[in-house]
Amino acid sequence: MALSVLLFRNPLAIVVVLSIVIGLLMVVLFGYTSNQKAIKIAKDQLKAHLLAVRLFQEQLHVVVGSYGRILRGTGRYLRLAFMPLLYVIIPITLLIVQLDRYLGVAPVQPNAPFLLTVQASSADALSGASLDLPTGILTTAPAVHVPADHEVVWRLAASREGTYDIGVATGGDRVTKRVKVSSELSRLSPVRFRGRFWERMFRSSESAIPDNSPIESIAINYPERTIRLAGYELNWIWLFFIFSMIAGFIFKELLGIQV
Amino acid sequence: MTKLCGADVPFDCAQGRPLCPHPTGKVQQAGRNARPTRTLLILAILFLPCLAHAYAGPGAGFAVLSSFWAIFVAFLYSFYALMTWPIRQLFRFLRRRNAYGKAKFNRAVILGFDGMDPELSERFMNEGKLPNLAKLREKGTFTKLRTTFPAISPVAWSTFMTGVNPGKHNIYDFLARDTSNYLPFLSSAEIKGPKRHIKIGKYSIPFGKTEIKAMRKGTPFWHWLGKAGIFSSVIRVPVTFPPEKFSGVLLSGMCVPDLKGSQGTFCLCTTRGSSDKFREGGVRVPIERRNGTCYSYIPGPDSPLAGTAGNEMRVAFEVKPDPTAKQVRIVVASEKLTLKVGEYSEWISVEFKAGLGFTAHGICRFYLKEVSPEVEVYVSPVNIDPGHPDLPISHPVTYSIYLAKLYGPFATLGLAEDTWALNEHVLDDEAFLAQCYSNHEDRERMLFDALEKTKQGLCTCVFDTTDRVQHMFWRYLDEDHPAAREVPRDQRPNVIPELYQKMDRLIGRVMEQIDDDTLLLVISDHGFKSFARCVNLNAWLHQNGYLALKDGKTESGDWFDDVDWSRTRAYTMGLNGLYLNVKGREMQGIVDPAEAEALKIELQQKLNGLKDPASGEAGITGVFITGNVYRGPYTENAPDLIVGYGAGYRASWDSVLGKVTGQVFEDNLKAWSGDHCIDPRLVPGILFSSHKFATEKPHIADVAPTILTLFGLAPPSHFDGKAWNLTG
Repeated sequence: MALSVLLFRNPLAIVVVLSIVIGLLMVVLFGYTSNQKAIKIAKDQLKAHLLAVRLFQEQLHVVVGSYGRILRGTGRYLRLAFMPLLYVIIPITLLIVQLDRYLGVAPVQPNAPFLLTVQASSADALSGASLDLPTGILTTAPAVHVPADHEVVWRLAASREGTYDIGVATGGDRVTKRVKVSSELSRLSPVRFRGRFWERMFRSSESAIPDNSPIESIAINYPERTIRLAGYELNWIWLFFIFSMIAGFIFKELLGIQV
Repeated sequence: MTKLCGADVPFDCAQGRPLCPHPTGKVQQAGRNARPTRTLLILAILFLPCLAHAYAGPGAGFAVLSSFWAIFVAFLYSFYALMTWPIRQLFRFLRRRNAYGKAKFNRAVILGFDGMDPELSERFMNEGKLPNLAKLREKGTFTKLRTTFPAISPVAWSTFMTGVNPGKHNIYDFLARDTSNYLPFLSSAEIKGPKRHIKIGKYSIPFGKTEIKAMRKGTPFWHWLGKAGIFSSVIRVPVTFPPEKFSGVLLSGMCVPDLKGSQGTFCLCTTRGSSDKFREGGVRVPIERRNGTCYSYIPGPDSPLAGTAGNEMRVAFEVKPDPTAKQVRIVVASEKLTLKVGEYSEWISVEFKAGLGFTAHGICRFYLKEVSPEVEVYVSPVNIDPGHPDLPISHPVTYSIYLAKLYGPFATLGLAEDTWALNEHVLDDEAFLAQCYSNHEDRERMLFDALEKTKQGLCTCVFDTTDRVQHMFWRYLDEDHPAAREVPRDQRPNVIPELYQKMDRLIGRVMEQIDDDTLLLVISDHGFKSFARCVNLNAWLHQNGYLALKDGKTESGDWFDDVDWSRTRAYTMGLNGLYLNVKGREMQGIVDPAEAEALKIELQQKLNGLKDPASGEAGITGVFITGNVYRGPYTENAPDLIVGYGAGYRASWDSVLGKVTGQVFEDNLKAWSGDHCIDPRLVPGILFSSHKFATEKPHIADVAPTILTLFGLAPPSHFDGKAWNLTG
């Protein structure tokens, strides 16, 4: 129980556990989806050409020729590694997207100011824009209009933790944007879009703004989350990259899979 | 039907790598059906926005890191090589200026075809079967090449590389005898385990290195070339184990042991119960059937941790027979392979684990003999893994690793073609030939790689196939060989003519790779003759009062079991050596050294011209007192007499093993039906050259001084051979 609480609250622990699990899954998937024999041969031949440079170092034509073969061999190896990579890239990418909603940004803290940016299709559409604020959310500064970008920005603050729906009214139309104020790990959606399917898929977890609305997007500037490790503040994706690769290299040896 | 698994379809094979992966081979990936899926995936990835492009999962890491590592190391090597190249060139120039300055050729290529016979070569050339050799004959040189006494490969090739007679290189046969107990030992190398052991519980942990001592003396001529800055690539020249350091690369050949330390021990795994033991060269291992699956094992070397002999390590394997499809599924270690009857597997890596991290690495091949009603699987001798050599089999050690990485695993055993298995009917003719030619193809790939890598200097490669195939298939060439009398003449395969044609095609391909500035020599260490009749010299010595058996015995066991040494004056073991039982030299010697010379002459006179009562032909045509034919510091280790058998004759199988039988002459009924361990004057080798040499009666010892001279070096004064004069 204590461990699960620790895991749930500690982003570093989450990243480490996920990296190990995904490292293992990746190796197994790689083993199943790749041409293991061809990869072994490609790697062996690369090693052979490396050894040739050493063995025949007196023969310049061999050194130069081997170097060319190493480059070609590397290309062949990358090509062989690319196909299994394609097979796993979609599930892993979707997983990364989901994880990024938890680990990429942090929720707004109580009493800490944050910005809400509304972008419309034209500057006119925002001339009479106003906010419909729920209880617990306050504006801390007047709205700033940026006509050139068709934007209007509000600075807001929340007095206590909670999930709020902030309404944006313009020209008789009303669109809401959800904001989370919390000190826990939460699933966050930094932006809500109109249309823009691919961007919505990768950056938003809210439904699309109706097509007839003049508002194109509403964004909250959640602070970026970093994880402290060995004195460095790092984005979770880098830690995931490093840990999952270490796990992968260990598992590939244990499982005898050519990578 | 014998065929090599996947020989034509590199990646369709059930096991491992292809037999001949092209060095730059395009790797066949998933089939055509995978294309639409692949295209969809590629399109999906291309249209995914930024986060997908920034994918940073472990797979990307593997790909990037691995390829980066390869490029990084290559770059470092290349940078080092390129940066230091001018300095090294300067040193090389200073070292070799005299050598290449006076060199008549930029490169010498020596192809050694073990046992290629001059008479057969001439016959086949005249029949138009060997166009490339015929070209060499016309353009350059073709002559017989005198060989050593005796005409045995390790002896002759040692003379080839050192330029000296056996009295100076100390190799007289495959085996030498231990004067303290009359038992044989391998003449070329001595392998001793670590001297010290630490006893912990049941383990006796070896402490220190395995010692491998070369018994061959003399210096191979490529060492002299190396000292002058001339690079050499030397592949599978016999008696180069253990490999010695020099300026070049070398892969050891004949005399490299298998992982058990023997010269090749095959294994027949069988459900067929039999208590028969193979005469030599193989063991029978039972296959146990349980619930439709068969279980057996590959016998390996003794455990280094056991402290005593007889604690054999094993690798277990499973066989799942499918009699309907006439195939089996074999599971060995992490490998799974399907074999049809009459099919070989690729080389399979096997690890014999002794515990505490001690592992012996080997490779072997499986061959399915039978699947129903009995299951029989032949397992080749477990060769030292060239990619992970537990004993040094190349110089530098990385050379065998380089070749294994480049072309896949290959046979490393000195006598890689399993002649014993054919002799014992474990392999049939086709299976044996397939094994020979598979090894041969590996060797060809190594040769062409060496030719590509050695544009200047020496490139030499010895092919054993010619020797092994002639040994085993001469019976079909002979008019009336006892081992093939039941095979009608019109059904006899043309194995030997086809072998010569294969070698000729190889020469053709080599000739395409070389220019006028390259000297090509094609040589053999000896020729070949039929081996139809066996001579048991120990029986003759017994019948003539030179060798005595213990009272009541009429025959002895192997290695002189039941021989009464107190009444024995002479004995023979090995292929051509005859020894006196000299007082003060042999453990139980009785011949006074002062009387030894007279006894030698007496034996020489009695044996010379010894007639076969069945045919009236001479079974022995020459007996040579070694003091007259050898000169050098190791002459005392030689046999006292060398027996030269007549054409068609050879030492009997029993006589070689130090056994006394009742009959002196008998038919040879084994597949091993051709031989050369006879009177050396009857079996000279061949010498073909791309250039003309003026030489009368060239000798194999002349090759070393000739090559040194052609590279502008003075042959050392202790050489016995004489350099040939180039005339064209």
